[in-house]
Amino acid sequence: MRYTHPALLDHLASAYVLGTLGGGARRRFERLLRDRSDVQLLVAQWEGRLGMLARSVPVQQPPQRVWAAIEARTRPRDVKDAALQGGWAGVLWRRHGVLQGLAGVVLGVVATVALVAAVPTLFVSSDQVALRAGDKLPQAYVGLLTDGAGNGKVLVSSLRHGRTLTVKVIGPITLPAMPATMAGAAPQLVLWAVPADGAPFVLGTVPVAGSAVSVLPDTSEKLLLKVSKLMVTLEASVAPQVPGGTVLFTGNCAKLW
Amino acid sequence: MATATDVPSANLQALIRAAAGGDHAAFAQIYQRTHVHLFGVAVRMLGQGQAAEDVLQEAYVSIWKNAGSYRSEVGGQPIQPMTWLIAIVRNKALDALRARARRPESAWNDTTELAGSDGDGRDAMGAASALAPAPSAMHLLEQATQALRIEGCMNALDGSYRQSLALAYYQGLSHSEVAAQMGAPLGSVKAWIRRGLERLKSCLAAQGVGA
Repeated sequence: MRYTHPALLDHLASAYVLGTLGGGARRRFERLLRDRSDVQLLVAQWEGRLGMLARSVPVQQPPQRVWAAIEARTRPRDVKDAALQGGWAGVLWRRHGVLQGLAGVVLGVVATVALVAAVPTLFVSSDQVALRAGDKLPQAYVGLLTDGAGNGKVLVSSLRHGRTLTVKVIGPITLPAMPATMAGAAPQLVLWAVPADGAPFVLGTVPVAGSAVSVLPDTSEKLLLKVSKLMVTLEASVAPQVPGGTVLFTGNCAKLW
Repeated sequence: MATATDVPSANLQALIRAAAGGDHAAFAQIYQRTHVHLFGVAVRMLGQGQAAEDVLQEAYVSIWKNAGSYRSEVGGQPIQPMTWLIAIVRNKALDALRARARRPESAWNDTTELAGSDGDGRDAMGAASALAPAPSAMHLLEQATQALRIEGCMNALDGSYRQSLALAYYQGLSHSEVAAQMGAPLGSVKAWIRRGLERLKSCLAAQGVGA
């Protein structure tokens, strides 16, 4: 088949995206798609058009095990451990291997000097010694949110002077049905900070499984100093102004120092 | 109704970029924000059950591995992240449907979604269709075209054209499966679907959505 006629290519692209192009024709078209940017454009256009038809497909909640399986296949090996063991010295050593010879020796010396220079700052206080020895946790705000029956559901943590917040789901979360007033919206689990003397404000969203990191507008120290409670509500958007939905989980916000 | 295009695009684009850089937390957020939509698409094509779950899993593993290949535009044509995600899950679902179609006759009976079919492959298709009835695919197409404000334009086409397009799109049926379900000649169905696609393109262009 000749693939030069624009109308033919457009037709093949539409059938490919729809799924009705089958067998050998599909395989030939896929080869064409890999090599030709004009074909990639046609397919992208048809994916755009037909993708719009998906807007009427009702959402469905898959079981928790699907995310567990995806996570098992995608989560990288613990890169933090590797970084702690190797760190920038490891990077230098790897470069040492690449550069070889005299330049490598120089880099090695630099690495050694830098390490020695770094040591005093690593061990300035007994607190930090304890921290590094694993006897003490870093200063952080933490929260454990439970459901009405007291089952632990969500673990929230943020370093005292950090600007990120980690949310980890520790128990299975079953999304309740959306109230009729919010019908039509994708359900969102929203994490709120509830200050002792002010209005609740949004800290981020909570995944139904796994963990998520939110970037905070300021340090935890500034945001959470006067926050005693945390809660998770079911909302129609990721950043509602005020909590409007059902309260699913609650817990105390505690200072870990 | 919550639908597959409700998720804000700008944030999703940033999350896909972060996932491409190996940020697994960003990937988890992509899942959190889109999985109910993508699972909806998979279930519509495969029915509730293991097959749809497997497709969802394969789709997200592919999204994680190929996040770096997501481009926000191709040849000047903007690509919405949700469009990209839907295309991935549809392709995985189509692969699963084709693999199912290649299975030997006896295997049909093992599939819970197709339970009760004891005839040949065509009857089994009929059984699958009975669980995901045609009016429903047609109904979804009507809802989508209403939302896109191209309903009038599309309704200028004969109902059988629209129905064959709806069956192919929402249920992932092949030409011959659509023909079997509609009791229409294969040649007619091919022409109807082709005309339906051309009409969709011109209706969207007239409405100023899509290229």
